[in-house]
Amino acid sequence: MSIEAAQVMSESEAPLAVTVRARRSIGRQAVIDTLARPGARLGLAWLGILAFFAVFGPFIANTHPILMKSEGHWSSPMLRSLTPVDVLLLAATGVAIVLWIGRWFSSGIGLLIVIATPIVLAPAAYLLVQPPANVDYSLYRTMISEGKVERVAFTIIPYSPSDRLRDRTDARLSPPNAAHWFGTDNDGADVFSNILHASRVALSIGFMATGISVALGLLIGGTMGYYGGAFDLLSMRTIEIVEALPRLVLLITISALARHRNIYLMMAIIGLTGFTSYARFVRAEFLSLRQRDFVQAAIAAGYPQYRIIFRQMLPNALTPVLVSTTFGVASAILYEATLSFLGLGLVDEPSWGALLEQARAGGNGFIWWIALFPGLAIFLTVFSYNLIGEAARDALDPKLRKRD
Amino acid sequence: MLSYLIRRILLMIPTLLGVSIVTFAIVALSPGGLGGSLLGPNSQLRPEERKAIMAYYTARYGIGQPVYVQYLRWLGRVSPLGPKAAGEGWPGSWKIGFKIPDLGESWQVHRPISDLLSESLPITLLLEFTSLPVIYLISIVTGIQAARSRGKVVDVGLGTFLIGLYSMPEIWIGVLMIGFLTNKEYLHWFPSNGLHDITSDAMPFMPSFGPHGFERGWLLDTAWHLVLPLICLSYGSFAYLSRLTRGSLLETLGLDFVRTARAKGLMEKTVIYAHAFRNSLLPLITVTASFLPGILAGAVIIETIFGLPGMGQLFASAAINTDRELLLALTLIFAVLLMISFLLADIAYAIADPRVSYVD
Repeated sequence: MSIEAAQVMSESEAPLAVTVRARRSIGRQAVIDTLARPGARLGLAWLGILAFFAVFGPFIANTHPILMKSEGHWSSPMLRSLTPVDVLLLAATGVAIVLWIGRWFSSGIGLLIVIATPIVLAPAAYLLVQPPANVDYSLYRTMISEGKVERVAFTIIPYSPSDRLRDRTDARLSPPNAAHWFGTDNDGADVFSNILHASRVALSIGFMATGISVALGLLIGGTMGYYGGAFDLLSMRTIEIVEALPRLVLLITISALARHRNIYLMMAIIGLTGFTSYARFVRAEFLSLRQRDFVQAAIAAGYPQYRIIFRQMLPNALTPVLVSTTFGVASAILYEATLSFLGLGLVDEPSWGALLEQARAGGNGFIWWIALFPGLAIFLTVFSYNLIGEAARDALDPKLRKRD
Repeated sequence: MLSYLIRRILLMIPTLLGVSIVTFAIVALSPGGLGGSLLGPNSQLRPEERKAIMAYYTARYGIGQPVYVQYLRWLGRVSPLGPKAAGEGWPGSWKIGFKIPDLGESWQVHRPISDLLSESLPITLLLEFTSLPVIYLISIVTGIQAARSRGKVVDVGLGTFLIGLYSMPEIWIGVLMIGFLTNKEYLHWFPSNGLHDITSDAMPFMPSFGPHGFERGWLLDTAWHLVLPLICLSYGSFAYLSRLTRGSLLETLGLDFVRTARAKGLMEKTVIYAHAFRNSLLPLITVTASFLPGILAGAVIIETIFGLPGMGQLFASAAINTDRELLLALTLIFAVLLMISFLLADIAYAIADPRVSYVD
């Protein structure tokens, strides 16, 4: 959207095109350069598909019918089964689409509104949206076979991830076929439905964990680099201590000892253990930026500290950090998958890593369709982020830039 | 150099103390606290037995006392310098001094942790030290090849392939390898589990021709068991390092002295191998420090998948069973291993680059 707007601008104001191009910030130019690369486009395309699955998962794979006419009146069990999180995600996506069409999205305010929407609506959603606590998935199939349903419309894949097809004992471990595109797992649950719903877990853990890491890294690294002194020394020792253990070892220790693992805990621990590299990086940037003339001039001019830090130094340190953020998201997703694979991940929620573990240690030997497809999903997602990261790094590297 | 070494080794002590405080705090903050995991496995016992066991553990580990007291007790046992019984260690008659660290006893298997370590650590180290040369060798060869054909199809294709390779999760590749290459239903090329065959004790060490034809012997049997784990452990780092070799070599090839060498009319091979390559080695050595934690952590995954009884598998089982003593000891060993390898990487860096000097 922002790119299109910029292009439209430069075309409509042809005489001014040169100045418009020159006025683009480094960040915006980097985004444009990144998106010019085919690798980044491929990566974004896959992430777009995943994001679509993450938001519209309940509308694509659900045992609850979209519409059902039973004993004379219509109902929509699918809408009634939506959780508050489903509703909030849909609301945020709706706001984003409206902003996009209205062309307000490109500014930072648009993004803020999209992020704020679910937070503002959360209390209302948790009060108003109350899906039934106990679900009998076989109910609809029984009703249909008994002829109690006159008209019914299912989603494309009529299986929820936790629908273990208890009414159909032959459904366990069936290889990929027309009804189950990626087969079924040890319990009889549809593998495709599980992969699709797990994309939400993977994406959100990737984003939130990296967000926590970057925020902490900027805060601690920036303070270390700007003020130096005892805080710098102490923080550096702390970073060394955290880095003295492989991150996976630290994550395994924490998640093994946490009794109630949920998605928020996973986000927090993966985020908290990953701040060190960002902190080191920002510290080094701030140390060198402090010596630069424009910062010295700002200090000499008597600008307040927050202005020097946030308006002068931070924007100059931010762009390279954002590049490493894409790699950070990739590794956060990998860590989540690995923890789930070792049996230390989410409980009661579909996860790519947990599916892979079923293929290995499910007690039925090696089931290729449970091993292949979830792993492929992890791989494609991590690959996408890495491709985007590589493209962004190349776009930002002045040595590799051909134009200008 | 020597003073630098001594300073670095002394600086390890506060870091190790920090690591131990962090891990102890994690254990103490967990539900059930420090003694929490004891309640699980013993829940089948009769009340009086359970009471006796709890009394024993309370006396031994000080469970129920404040966390810092328990920490100091643990630290006193684990550290090589601390309180000891008179008559052992050095100096012999003192109550405080140097001694052999007592890592404690596993709560799950009820064996001394030092015994468990002496069995499992060699396997992990074997994995690490065989994978490192493999990683370096392959990545240097492919990296140079990519740099020589910069911008051509080979280079671009290899580049994308390598990004793909290090995006592949080890857990996926490991599971697929076991599934397809060690499985009677597909290809039964490799053993699926463990480090040796059951009959390996009876095998001669070297491969030989016996009465039953070719016998692979203990050495080849072990190597055969190690092939898949090694591939699985190495490919990610290899892909990463290969791209780094390419970048570093390309950077060096743009420098003035390379142009001089070419202007002298030297052969391209001589320019690359004798002049440019040696000068582009440095980033490869510094980066070792950044992927070593990865291989060490990779051992946890790979040993679990391939059933190798190494330290990684021991750690995974300690974590899953919340075996406090084993967890604390193993995290400490992980930290020591990692810091020693960081130190080795720094020393290698100083040897490779004459400009770097640690003499103050």
